[in-house]
Amino acid sequence: MITEKFFNKWIFLLLLIIPILGLIFNEPYYITLTTKVIILGIAGVGLNLALGYGGLISFGHAAFFGIGGYVTAIMSYHAINEELLFDWLIAIPGSSEMLIIWPLVLLISAFFSFLIGLLSLRTSGVYFIMITLAFAQMLYYFSISWPTYGGEDGLSIFMRNSLPLVNTMNPLIFFFICLFWFAVSIYVTSKLINSPYGMALQATKQNEERVKSVGIETFKVKLIAFVFSGAITGLAGSLYTDLNRFVSPSVLDWHMSGEIMIFVILGGIARLYGPLIGAAFFIILEQTLGAYTENWQFWLGLILILEILYARSGIMGLFEKKNKYE
Amino acid sequence: MNNNILNIKNLSKSFGAFKVTDDIAIDLKFNEIHALIGPNGAGKSTLIKQIVGSVKHDIGSIILDQEDITDLTDIERAKIGISRTFQVSSVIPKFSALENIILSLLEKNQKTFQLFQNLQSNKDLFSKAERILIEIELDNQSNTLASELSHGDRRKLEVGLALAMNPKVFLFDEPMAGLDEAGTKMMINLFKKIKSQSPILLIEHDMDAVFALADRISVIVYGKIVATGTVEEIKSNTLVHDVYLGYEV
Repeated sequence: MITEKFFNKWIFLLLLIIPILGLIFNEPYYITLTTKVIILGIAGVGLNLALGYGGLISFGHAAFFGIGGYVTAIMSYHAINEELLFDWLIAIPGSSEMLIIWPLVLLISAFFSFLIGLLSLRTSGVYFIMITLAFAQMLYYFSISWPTYGGEDGLSIFMRNSLPLVNTMNPLIFFFICLFWFAVSIYVTSKLINSPYGMALQATKQNEERVKSVGIETFKVKLIAFVFSGAITGLAGSLYTDLNRFVSPSVLDWHMSGEIMIFVILGGIARLYGPLIGAAFFIILEQTLGAYTENWQFWLGLILILEILYARSGIMGLFEKKNKYE
Repeated sequence: MNNNILNIKNLSKSFGAFKVTDDIAIDLKFNEIHALIGPNGAGKSTLIKQIVGSVKHDIGSIILDQEDITDLTDIERAKIGISRTFQVSSVIPKFSALENIILSLLEKNQKTFQLFQNLQSNKDLFSKAERILIEIELDNQSNTLASELSHGDRRKLEVGLALAMNPKVFLFDEPMAGLDEAGTKMMINLFKKIKSQSPILLIEHDMDAVFALADRISVIVYGKIVATGTVEEIKSNTLVHDVYLGYEV
């Protein structure tokens, strides 16, 4: 058995090697595929903060993923069409600058996670699962019924948003942009969980009554985790829209929430790199089994059942020492 | 000057037609251990829950250090100085003994919402926690997960959690249940020492420990206080013998 830190270093190294090999062998498809894994991994890292470390089983993280995606697409759509985004009282133009879009995505996702968290964290257990699902589904149906931004058909942005001095259309450059954000999300999560606040969060997951009895406001502790979690997942949604140059209501659907949760569970709950491994495994299954059958999710279901019965620490738990916070 | 740190007046609570606490009036003086005894189901633990705020009372008032805390939440009460142990040990199972104590130190030291500072860099928290572990004689189990501690050590750890909060009053709910003789002795000595720091409202079934520790004893039966007095007064009270001590001694 090896330590989690050692294993994580190897994963990061592998992430660097795959796209470089894709470049050497002129297979840009594999660079894009690895980029997709990283983006979905970021979404999982976001959920893992709430679910893995805080015990908040959110079945509505597609809401934040979708908000990130739509904010990015809407900003870009208005910039491309040279239309004002907002012209009531003050005039706000769209933008296709990533340096403007990212902070906006983080702010809006954080704001929505704050609002959703404020209401849903008053519940727990199955009620929390259902209320988060309900919020996400509300946004899903809202996006379907909003024809300005494509309604059911979604919204194409034609050109990937831009970053000064670099060509974001280059698959390898966009890969490194996503890798940068993955590293940032891991860094932020790692700092949070190793801080005094992180201790309070992980304690709340285990025994909330005891944490309250020592004077800690557990609601506030959970809300902060939920906001960070939503913001990180929102950022992933933004990158996902830029990767595909398209966003549709499917990113807000409960299937998306389920998939993000599967990444976390497959990789290993409360493991920093677990969601990335889970997302990679998911994509590998989709690419390999999906080539033989449309119903490849049947095998995914089987693997999930086996994992929950026999390997609850996820894929990372098979190789690493036991994580005491699992 | 009022020398009571805790004053409880007319506290009542019913679950349906069943009165768990009935017009309870009890106080706790500075430098005092006030023991609360009575048969199982008499309402002792429910009274503790009402004082800490986890069970809402129907009527009555609770005054802590001249401040009416009746309408405060359980977390607010803990913050202003009520610290408790639970009847059934309640610790953070996947935290070590040291980590449990550090958790209890966070709020008092205003560290809870330090989001990005590494916990390990808070050397003062670690040294305070280590001192408390020595005080409760758990320093040799510092890195043992709470879930792997023996029952007795978990009881000690709970007292350690209460100590770490440096509260105005301690509410201990059967802290000696399941302890061996040495553990009970340690606890008695510890309580004698800390009562001058913060007085203790003690629920305990071990009568030897109660008689060795208590400055005053109140007896609760069917949710009512039936007697309050010194150890000698309670020992010689015939009603108390009939309803409780009679079959204990």
